[in-house]
Amino acid sequence: MESHWAVEHLQVIRTLMERTALYRRALAPIMLAIGLLGLAAAVAAWILRIDSSRSFSLFWGGVALAGLGVAFRLIRRQAGQESEPFWSPPTRRVTQAMLPAMAAGLITVLLPCLPCGSDPLPAWWLPPIWMVLYGASVHAAGFFMPRGIKLFGWIFVAAGSAALLALGSCSSPPPIRIAHLLMGAVFGGFHAAYGAYLYLTESRSPTA
Amino acid sequence: MNPDPVRQLDRLIHEKGRLAILSVLAASPELSFTELRNLLEMTDGNLSVHIRTLQEAGYLAVTKSFRKRKPLTTCALTPAGKIAFTQYLDLLEQFVRQTPRPS
Repeated sequence: MESHWAVEHLQVIRTLMERTALYRRALAPIMLAIGLLGLAAAVAAWILRIDSSRSFSLFWGGVALAGLGVAFRLIRRQAGQESEPFWSPPTRRVTQAMLPAMAAGLITVLLPCLPCGSDPLPAWWLPPIWMVLYGASVHAAGFFMPRGIKLFGWIFVAAGSAALLALGSCSSPPPIRIAHLLMGAVFGGFHAAYGAYLYLTESRSPTA
Repeated sequence: MNPDPVRQLDRLIHEKGRLAILSVLAASPELSFTELRNLLEMTDGNLSVHIRTLQEAGYLAVTKSFRKRKPLTTCALTPAGKIAFTQYLDLLEQFVRQTPRPS
């Protein structure tokens, strides 16, 4: 008796399961860690008086990389605890969805460092651009994650757009130190608040 | 080892539509009726019939609630459904292993 039909059945089942599997790693600790990192970075930048466009950009670029590193470690640890592969199909899809906007955001970090004239991109334009790009990135990932993530992305897009409009209508932007507070409030505060919310509401066991 | 695993296959699961429903629910804790319908590209009627059959067999738990004042039907595998689905997969794999490959 041929076993083709059984192989095809198994293939169909596998495809359906992979297509359906949502990214369900416990986001609460990841969000809280990134939130606290953002808040701590804002305080540090305020204390260290990081006031030039270039140092502002490099500082927050470094914080973003540190945040990615923290998230990577926490996700890997969760996968290990569940005896599941780190690079699971849902993880792969979420990464692929986030990558374009995240890559664009990381490239903008370099803009103030480029020798493109005597007037480098003012640091004040970077936070709103980062917020919009990060929001777009999170929103894209939301198609493969539980409900709520897309809204979280929209909040960043809305905050960034509002900041862009406010900046566009402002004749002289406030000191760069205030931009650090904005970064801390949005990237740190929003993540920490969402992490706290998830801690109170997440009850399902994580599977990715 | 059973000489003919195909005979042991659960006939209730061994149907394209119901197998698809169990497959997607095995990968997700729960899914709404709309999500199932969109994922599997089934008609409302067809999906309802399969869900009812699986529910009557004790493989599916169906919960009806309200979300933003709209009725929401969610489906999830029961422990019996998980066991039945796992056994079905095991038997399929066993059958594939037992069948000699063409040289």
